[in-house]
Amino acid sequence: MVASRPEPGGRSGGRPRLLLLTPDYPPSPGGIQVVSHRLAAALAGFETTVLAPASAGAAEFDAHSGVRTLRVASPGALPGPARIGLLNAAALARASMLRPQLTLSMHIVMSPAAAAIARATGARAVQYFHAEEIGARPRLAAFAASNATASIVVSEYTAGLVREASARHGKQPGTLHVIGNGTDVPEDHAPFSDEPGRATILTVGRIEERYKGHDAMLRALPLVLAKVPEAQWVVVGDGSLRPSLEALAKGLGVDHAVRFLGAVSDEERNLWLRRARLVAMPSRLPAGGFAGEGFGIVYLEAGAYGKPVVAGNVGGALDAVSDGETGLLVDPTDPLALAEAIVRLLRDSELAGRLGANGRANALAHTWPHVAERVEAVLLGALDRSKTG
Amino acid sequence: MCQTLRHRGPDDEGIHADAVSGVSIGARRLAIMDIAGGHQPLSNENGTVWAAFNGEIYNHPTLREDLRRRGHVFQTHGDTEVLVHLYEEYGEAMVHALEGMFTFAIWDQRAQRLLLARDRFGEKPLFLHEENGELLFASELTSLLEVRPRLRELDPAAIDAFFVFAYVPGPGTVVPGVRQLPPGCLLSWERGRGCEERAWWSPPERPVPRRDELRSLIAEAKELLSEAVRTRLVADVPVGVFLSGGVDSTLVAAVAAQESSTRLRTFTVGYDVGGVNETERARIVADRLGSEHHEVTLTQPEVAERAPLVLSRMDQPLGDRAALPLHAVSEFARPRVTVALGGEGADELFGGYPRYRWLERARRVQAALPGPALGSLGWMLRRAAGLPRAARASMRLAPTPVLERNLDWVTAERRHRRAPLYGPRLAALDDTRVISDLASCAGELNGGPAARWLMRLDQRHYLPDDVLVKTDRASMLVSLELRSVFLHAGLAELAGSLDTAVHLAGSGKALVHAMLPEGLLPERRGGYRKTAFRVPAAEWLRGPLAPTMQEQLAHGTLYEEGWFDRAAVGRLVQEHAATGADHSDQLWPLLALGLWADRFHGREPA
Repeated sequence: MVASRPEPGGRSGGRPRLLLLTPDYPPSPGGIQVVSHRLAAALAGFETTVLAPASAGAAEFDAHSGVRTLRVASPGALPGPARIGLLNAAALARASMLRPQLTLSMHIVMSPAAAAIARATGARAVQYFHAEEIGARPRLAAFAASNATASIVVSEYTAGLVREASARHGKQPGTLHVIGNGTDVPEDHAPFSDEPGRATILTVGRIEERYKGHDAMLRALPLVLAKVPEAQWVVVGDGSLRPSLEALAKGLGVDHAVRFLGAVSDEERNLWLRRARLVAMPSRLPAGGFAGEGFGIVYLEAGAYGKPVVAGNVGGALDAVSDGETGLLVDPTDPLALAEAIVRLLRDSELAGRLGANGRANALAHTWPHVAERVEAVLLGALDRSKTG
Repeated sequence: MCQTLRHRGPDDEGIHADAVSGVSIGARRLAIMDIAGGHQPLSNENGTVWAAFNGEIYNHPTLREDLRRRGHVFQTHGDTEVLVHLYEEYGEAMVHALEGMFTFAIWDQRAQRLLLARDRFGEKPLFLHEENGELLFASELTSLLEVRPRLRELDPAAIDAFFVFAYVPGPGTVVPGVRQLPPGCLLSWERGRGCEERAWWSPPERPVPRRDELRSLIAEAKELLSEAVRTRLVADVPVGVFLSGGVDSTLVAAVAAQESSTRLRTFTVGYDVGGVNETERARIVADRLGSEHHEVTLTQPEVAERAPLVLSRMDQPLGDRAALPLHAVSEFARPRVTVALGGEGADELFGGYPRYRWLERARRVQAALPGPALGSLGWMLRRAAGLPRAARASMRLAPTPVLERNLDWVTAERRHRRAPLYGPRLAALDDTRVISDLASCAGELNGGPAARWLMRLDQRHYLPDDVLVKTDRASMLVSLELRSVFLHAGLAELAGSLDTAVHLAGSGKALVHAMLPEGLLPERRGGYRKTAFRVPAAEWLRGPLAPTMQEQLAHGTLYEEGWFDRAAVGRLVQEHAATGADHSDQLWPLLALGLWADRFHGREPA
C-alpha cells in the first residue's frame, strides 16, 4: 500500500517526524483517547511524538505505552478554555524544537496550534474529525478543515458535518478521507456464561450525553421484559447523567432488570462483552444542530466479540453497522421498534449468531493496524503534497 | 351508566358483555380520529381481547406502523384498535409504549382478566368501586353512582379536605365507597383474585446537581416540545390553541403556528370586571403569530347563568375559579374546533410557581440562621417595607415546616379558618388529618431542595386533582378535547432530570422562557408577575353571584344538612359584600361545593 516513504526535505535518514496533538489521551477514558493512543502506537512509518495534557496516572501509562509522550501540566482548577489555550501554546513551543514535518491534530481544539506550527515551520497539518465537536463549534471546525492539508473523518456522517460547517462559514475544506475507527480483536471471544438463565443486553459508553440513548433503552425495557422476562440491561460506563437514569429506571419500574456498573476495568468490560447476548446503543441525532455519534467504536467492539448490535438508524452508526448484516438499525426515538429489535435478537439465536459472526469478520478487517495503515497513507499523501506543493 | 356519560362522548355508544364471566365494558365516544370507524368497545380478530378507551393516543400512527410490521391487521384507523393489538403483543407492559392522555379497560377473554390503566399525569379520570369481589369502573363518578345509588353519600373527611384544598385529593373521592386509579397506575382484576394495582410510571425523582450545557438542553427541550405539538395537532377535525397571554400558552401557540399546515386558530377569554385583562396580551401575540384570533368576554350576566351549570357538573366538586372561564372559552370554541391545545402542566413540571423560589429561599434562610437571630431579623424585616416581598413573606412564614407553609400559601390558609365555619357534621373531624395525608403523599424531603420536593408534590397532587380535573371536565362538558402539550413523557422526564436551580433561574420556569421566541410576548409593565390565571371571583361574588350565594345560604344542602354553619358563612358573605374585605378564597370553594352538593342530592340548580 505504501510505495515509498519520502525522505524529509534535505534531512538525512530516519522516518518523518510526526507531532500528534490531542486534548484527550489515556489513561483518561473515552473514544478519542483510544484512537489517539492506538494510532500513535501503530504508525510505524513515522517518528511520532504525542503532545497531551497531564493527568492522574499519566507517567505510569506513558512508561509502558511504547509512545514518546510529552505531557502539558496545567495549574489545578483552570477552566476548560484556558487549559486548551495552554495546550496550544505548549504545542507551538515544543514544535519549534521538535521541527515536525507533519502534525496530526486529533481534535479541532488543537487546530490553532497546528495552523500556527504550519505557518512557523512549514509542517503540513492533518486534522481528525469525530462528530460531536463539529456541532458544538462549527466555526472552529470549518477553520480546522480549511487549514489542514488533508482531513480524516470517521464516517460519511462526519464528512457531511464538516462540509456543512465549512459551507456555513464560507470555508473550503481540504480533502476528506473517511476512515472508520478501529478495534482490538481478541483471540478468545467465546461466549462466557456464569449467569445461566439471564439474557444480557449490554451498553458501553460514558453517560454524559443524552443522545447516546440510555433513556430510550429504559423506555424500551418494559416492552422487552414483557416478552423476554429473563432479560437484563447492563450498563458499563459512568457519567453525570447516571443518577437521573437510575431515577428513571425506578420511575418506569424496571430497576430490578438494570445494572449500572459504572466505570470498570478493560478486563471486566471484555468479560461483559463475552457474557452479553447483544450490544445495544441506540444513539440518536441530538436536537438543535448538535452532532451525535460520529462512529461508535463500541459497535465494532461488539463485533470483535461476535455480538450482534442494535443501533440507531442515523449518524455514524450507519457507517459502523450494516443493517441486517452485523446488526439491526432502528428509529432510536421509537421505543417499540427498539424493543422489537432487541427481542428479535434475544429470541432468534440463529440470527444473532449470524450477525455476530459477520460482526467478527468486519472487526477483523478494522483492527487498529488496518486503520493505522490507512491513516498512514493519508499522512504520507499530505507529506507528498508538501514536497510537490 | 353509558347514558350518563353522554356529554363526554356524544357521537357513539357501545357495550360488550362477556357471557361466561359476566363482565361487561361499555363506552361512549367523542369522534376525533377515524370518525366513522371508531366504534367501541372494539376487539381483535377473534374476539378474545376487547378494549374500551377514553382519551387520545398521540403516537398511535407510529405504533400502528410498528404493529403492522409485526403482522397485525387493522380494521379501523382509530387509536382504540392499537390498544388491542399492543395488548396482544406485550400484555400490560403495553402502557409503556403509549404517549397520550388515556384511561382504558381491556378484557382478556382467554386469561379472564381485566386490565385498567390511567395515563402518566392523570389527564383522564377513572373511578373504581369494589364489593364482594366485583369491580365497577367508570370515567365518571356520577355514572358509577347511577348503577350503585346506595353509595350516594358524602364522606366528611373528603369534604373537609375539599374545603382546605378546594379540590378533592386523590386517590379518594367525595364518596366513601369509590376511589380513583392514581395517575401512572394500572390495575388488573380476575374473578376470585380481586384487584392488583401497581404504578407503571412516576416522574424521575433523584436529580443531582449537574452542569448541563444550557444551549443543548434548550435545543433538546425544544425538539421534544415540537414533537409534543406535532403529535397533538394530528386529528381529522379542526384544532385550535387556547391562548391566555401567559408564557406557557404563548409558547404552545408559537410552536403550533410553526408546525401547523393551516392557519392557526387561537382563543382567549376576558372579563368585564376586575381590572385584570390578559386579552390584550393574547391579542398582540396572536397578531404577531398571524393566527385567526377569537376573543370571548365572560360578562357578569353570563357568569350568573353559567356558574350553577358548570360548578354543579364537575363530577366531583372543584373550587378552582378558572373552571368558569375555561368552560366559557371551550363552549365558544367548540363550533369552530373540536380539539384545542393548552399549556397546562408547565408550571408544575418546569417550576413556574413563584412560591417554589420563595419557599426555597425561606428554607435556606431558616437553615442558615440560629433561632434568636431569625427572630430579630424577622422583626427588622417586618419594619423594612422596602425590602423584597420574598424576604418579608419568608419571615412571616418562617417557623412552620415547608410543607405547611406551602399548603397555607396555595390554600390561602383555609385550614386555619375551618373551625368557626364547620357545621356539626364536620366539627368532630380530626383537624390534623389533612396535613398527615399530605405529608404521606409528599414523601420524605430528605434534605433535598424544598423547591424540588414541592414541584413533585404538585405533580402528584395539585396537577391531577385540580388542574387536570378542571381542564378535562370543563372542556368535556361541551365535548371539546383539550390536549395539554407540556404533559409529554419525554419532556417530563427531561424536566425531572434537571437540577432545580436550572428551573428556578431568573424568574422561574427558565427553560420555558428560553424556548419562547424572542419578541413574541409583550413586556409586562412593572416586570414579570404571574397574573395569567387571576379570575375576578371576588367581584363576581359581590355582583352577579350574590343572589346565588344567598340562595345557597337559604336552601343549600351544605347548610340544611349541617355541613357548614349557616350563620358563620352568612357573616362572611355579608362582610365580603359590604366591606372591602376579600373572602373569595373561602366563599368560592363554598359556592362550588354547595352547587355541586345540591345537584348530587338531586336538586337541580335554579
